[in-house]
Amino acid sequence: MAEIHLTIDGRTVTVKAGATVLHAARQAGIPIPTICDHKDLNPYGACRMCIVEIEGVRGFPTSCTTPAAEGMQVRTRSPELETLRRRTLELMFSGHPNTCLVCPHREACESMRPMATKAGRTTRCGFCSNREECDLRNMALQAGGRDLNLPTLYAAHNLERDDPFMDRDYNLCILCARCWRICEKIHGKPAISIINRGRQARVGTAFHKSHVHSGCTFCGSCIDICPTGTLTDRFARWHGKADTRADSACILCPEGCSLTAHVKGGQLVATAMTAFEPDSSLCALGRFGYAQIVNAPTRLLRPTIRDNGESFSVDWDSALDAAAAGLSKHESALGILVSAAASREDRHLYHLLAQELGAKFAAIPATPAGTKPLLPKWVTGPKKSRSSALILSGDFLEDKHLAGLDFLLVIDGLPSPAQERADVLLPAALLSEAEGTFRTASGQIKDLARSSRAPGMARPEWEILWDLGQKLGLKSMAFDSLDHITAAVGEDPAPQAFADAPRHDVRTLPAFYRGHRTADLVPALEAFGLSATPRPLKQDVSIEGFQLLETRELAPNMHLLRIKAPQVAAHAKPGQFVILMAKETSERTPYTLADWDAEAGSITLILEEVGRSSRELALLKAGEVLAHVSGPLGKPFPVAKKGTVVLGGGCYGIGAILPLARALRQAGNHVLSVIEASSAYLLFWEEELRAVSDEVRVATKDGSRGAYGGVQEVFQQIVDQQPVDIFIAVGCTFMMRMVAELTKPWNVPTFVALNPIMVDGTGMCGACRVSIHGETKFACIDGPFFDAHGVDWDELACRKSAYAREEVEALPQAVDLSALMFPGAARPRCGCGR
Amino acid sequence: MENKKQKLPDSGSPATRGPKRPKIPRQPMPEQDPRRRRFNFEEVPRGYAEKNAILEASRCLRCKKPGCVAGCPVNINIPAFIALIAEGRFVQALEKLKEQNALPAVCGRVCPQESQCEAGCILGKKGEPVAIGRLERFAADYARDAGHQQLACTVASTGKKVAVVGAGPAGITVAGDLARWGHHVVVFEALHLPGGVLMYGIPQFRLPKEIVQYEINNLKKLGVEIRTDTAIGLTRTVDQLLEDGFDAVFVGTGAGLPIFLNIPRENAIGVFSANEFLTRINLMKACEFPKYATPPIRPRRAVTVGGGNVAMDAARTALRLGADSTIVYRRGLEEMPARAEEVHHAREEGIAMHLLSAPKRILTDDRNRVVGLECLRMELGEPDASGRRRPHQVKDSEFVVEADTVIVAVGNRPNPLVPRTSPDIEVGKHGTIVADQKTMMTSKPGVFAGGDIVSGAATVISAMGQGKRAAKAMHTYMTGEEPPCT
Repeated sequence: MAEIHLTIDGRTVTVKAGATVLHAARQAGIPIPTICDHKDLNPYGACRMCIVEIEGVRGFPTSCTTPAAEGMQVRTRSPELETLRRRTLELMFSGHPNTCLVCPHREACESMRPMATKAGRTTRCGFCSNREECDLRNMALQAGGRDLNLPTLYAAHNLERDDPFMDRDYNLCILCARCWRICEKIHGKPAISIINRGRQARVGTAFHKSHVHSGCTFCGSCIDICPTGTLTDRFARWHGKADTRADSACILCPEGCSLTAHVKGGQLVATAMTAFEPDSSLCALGRFGYAQIVNAPTRLLRPTIRDNGESFSVDWDSALDAAAAGLSKHESALGILVSAAASREDRHLYHLLAQELGAKFAAIPATPAGTKPLLPKWVTGPKKSRSSALILSGDFLEDKHLAGLDFLLVIDGLPSPAQERADVLLPAALLSEAEGTFRTASGQIKDLARSSRAPGMARPEWEILWDLGQKLGLKSMAFDSLDHITAAVGEDPAPQAFADAPRHDVRTLPAFYRGHRTADLVPALEAFGLSATPRPLKQDVSIEGFQLLETRELAPNMHLLRIKAPQVAAHAKPGQFVILMAKETSERTPYTLADWDAEAGSITLILEEVGRSSRELALLKAGEVLAHVSGPLGKPFPVAKKGTVVLGGGCYGIGAILPLARALRQAGNHVLSVIEASSAYLLFWEEELRAVSDEVRVATKDGSRGAYGGVQEVFQQIVDQQPVDIFIAVGCTFMMRMVAELTKPWNVPTFVALNPIMVDGTGMCGACRVSIHGETKFACIDGPFFDAHGVDWDELACRKSAYAREEVEALPQAVDLSALMFPGAARPRCGCGR
Repeated sequence: MENKKQKLPDSGSPATRGPKRPKIPRQPMPEQDPRRRRFNFEEVPRGYAEKNAILEASRCLRCKKPGCVAGCPVNINIPAFIALIAEGRFVQALEKLKEQNALPAVCGRVCPQESQCEAGCILGKKGEPVAIGRLERFAADYARDAGHQQLACTVASTGKKVAVVGAGPAGITVAGDLARWGHHVVVFEALHLPGGVLMYGIPQFRLPKEIVQYEINNLKKLGVEIRTDTAIGLTRTVDQLLEDGFDAVFVGTGAGLPIFLNIPRENAIGVFSANEFLTRINLMKACEFPKYATPPIRPRRAVTVGGGNVAMDAARTALRLGADSTIVYRRGLEEMPARAEEVHHAREEGIAMHLLSAPKRILTDDRNRVVGLECLRMELGEPDASGRRRPHQVKDSEFVVEADTVIVAVGNRPNPLVPRTSPDIEVGKHGTIVADQKTMMTSKPGVFAGGDIVSGAATVISAMGQGKRAAKAMHTYMTGEEPPCT
């Protein structure tokens, strides 16, 4: 192929014909910033970060779309280019929440909040599940400087959480078009594209259909290629960046697609395509279901045996002894039923065991939705012809097949009704927890990697069978290593492929894994018509109670809830809180009272959606009834005339300081209220506060309104201007801590409302204990207000993160099927709050 | 309970033979195999079958001066109810029990019988005492399964209104009695479910929650109004309740303020009060996470500090959550205040015990998570005020118990919410409410109190007993008459 010589920044570069200027520069090691460019995508020229100057060419062409030509003189750096790129970046950031970049307290905050907050919307630092992997942020950080000169225009798109497996927040989208381009590349016809024009332009499906109905196969490539946190994997997103990746293969259907396991701290968090190529695509189950199956909360943890009708857990040795004893006793009438969704090694050992014991053997193939696998005659036939002892590696049989068995050994990782009857139950490692090989429908043999830890005492099946063989004294099952087993498998036949590949059609996803319904393990699959085991409908009937009178998203993520709770309203005092439970199954979660109306019998709360409990509350619609509202709780703030009182509020604290401001002013104080938000569009209740304060000042972390910075910057300003008698700060732990450190040298009394994890809120459990001047106090009955200068902040921050991992696990994975069928019903509010 | 439906012996029932008969051994109660129950929350003792109950009841000598009655904190007529069981009149036996005890199904399970009624049993002097607790439980379970319902003993309403603060054992007792005597009773409960310690504290494997629910349902059937989510003291105060038109108020707010050890790093992640640990599992059902949203505790090595019933409950719960469970107690096995049966069950389930050991400090990692508990060896000296020998530290005897979870079960102080907001109710040294031991009336007329808020941390039966006394006195206080029935 012909070669082309061109000059970039004074260096001569030789490239093959057809290469772009960007390729040429990269080949020469000359960096050009890019966002929309991706090695697996065709050039597109959307982001305009890669602009260059080319002699003789007008303007600033994008290097990614410009083919290199002989003798070209290219400049990648010049003052004009720098300015243009900077402006381009600023434009991108004006439509993308950017306080994660520009906040003056960024470094301090990041060191104290290592975990991302599981917020509904990504609006600020610490709220983005993608912070560790954000290309946009990395590029901006490399460019240096945190001053962006354009205001943030928050688009206020609705959060899209009704589709299976993916959460979408198009407020973060910078229209790089990577998503629909990869969709087109992999599927030919993209399910998504850019819709609307101008300022309204965004990525979406045709006619705003749900992705389920748009032809999307849920391969997840758009999520994996998105440079921002716009598109995310609902299950994996809050686990953070994977620390290990391992290539392996999917065994859930005969297709045997290659996949890459993403593992964090020994836990499988996601499986993704090995490459952004059409041949590498995965089906919805392979991309999203794998990790959910492996992490199922119902996994079997301990070997269990039955003795005299009682079953109990035992150690592995006793369990294997019991299994071996049972098998040798019932050798003559044994049948072995295994799942084809297993490694070749596992199947080989089962087969060997069957040969050695003269047992009948059958492997149950995986089947697509709507079909049921055929069971062999020797389990379904007339009673006389049936095997009276069985080894099952899954949930294949119904009660009627199991009746009258003399011996049942179950080797499985997930619970099934059959296990109630099992004489021995051995917990098996599943999928990414065991090594081996797998033969695909096309005959290829793929390696399976062991990349995550099996839960409890579960072990890989080949290990279990190997040990069982030893216990039974079977010489043919004595192998030195897994490799020897692999070598012994020989030429096994390739499995029969599904008529339609699941990765091309969501309606043909495997309906069973080891006989368990996949929709039971991965609830979102119900959206594709896969049925879960029917459960009795239990209706929560509320007779009376805590009705939600009004609900409104005041600012992104900040919800105002007005609830009927006459008893709380009648007794509430400034500074107190309530404990809410949206449902009977909810956690007891405390929220500070933002206002109340004793006459109307209602209370007003402002809560930020940051996890399961707050989401349950935020998703309630007006008219619905909360399971419990308990309160008022906590000691009221001791309101007295002190002189000048400065109140600081951030996020929910803006609501919390309103009743304080009102009461303190009524008591004759001069009240200054200071509120902070990451950006101007996140501010709320400024007017409401103005009505009850002598003065209101505002600070934003991006400087878009008021002072640049937070409450502490304004406190500093105020102290420089006038004497202050008391400071009060309510908001996140970080903000209150900053305030405490600021006011300590001034020797001005400073109070903060602490918000540790609580359970009962009445002093009974001590979960909320905090250290104040070295003494343990209960925030629920001794607080919430404490002397800020005596708080052990490190301890508080630590205790608040005690359940970080469980809080991620608690986030629901099921989708609201009715929302998918009636898209209108799921959009109760516009989302902008304005 | 499947074995309960067995047939009665046809003839020659031991009950008819009178007290002079060949010796019958104390009937064992079937129990769940310890190897199995380590991993489930089902009740451990399964209860007597009718046959065993009758056999056991027939062991009773019906003493003229029954030591058992004297040993019972509420003086149940034990020989009488046992005689009824021996005659096969189980429901009548329950009614006999109910005269003194509002919660026999609960007390039969959680009372420390070996130091109360059974300690006074004459048979125990030379052999084994009559299994009074098991018989009590049997009669209550039998009647419950048979659908027995205790009725109000008067149709006429007295027109009096009573507020009961706290829906624990004392409150349930007061509410039940006063409702049966024709008063309008409103029970205020701070938590979202009524039952108090029976609900949040005592685990399922010792007291199935269905039993508590049954008692609560009984109250509702008697017309008692239960207002959950209402912490008196923070909403209405006791004074305001009297202003609201309640003729009398009963305060049974319990000992709900956990005591900690006051040792370094006690606020590390992984250190729980037994109250928190048990509440998360029992009340909030964290073991059914993620169906229930409360985050679960996943202990691998749990150390429980304390030797009482709560410590046993916590240690055995931790075991069932999959932990290697250990108890650290500063005195010896003999001195443990827990029920003998609970200690026995705990040991049977494989819970290790470091006796004569006291915690010195919590060891943590760089993320402030517990990694161990440093302890000191103790030796016993002279008896202290409680009659138990006082432990002393052995110098330089430190040792470390590995742990990722430390559960502190060294007792509770009375909950301060009511005393704090009712200045004219006299309060004792440790924050307990002072009440007349006969009438349970406090220093404030019309306000009565009972249970752990009066006695500090004590037993369900004593709370129930005080509730009984208070109910009687409250009835007399309001109507000037004796209650129409017991």
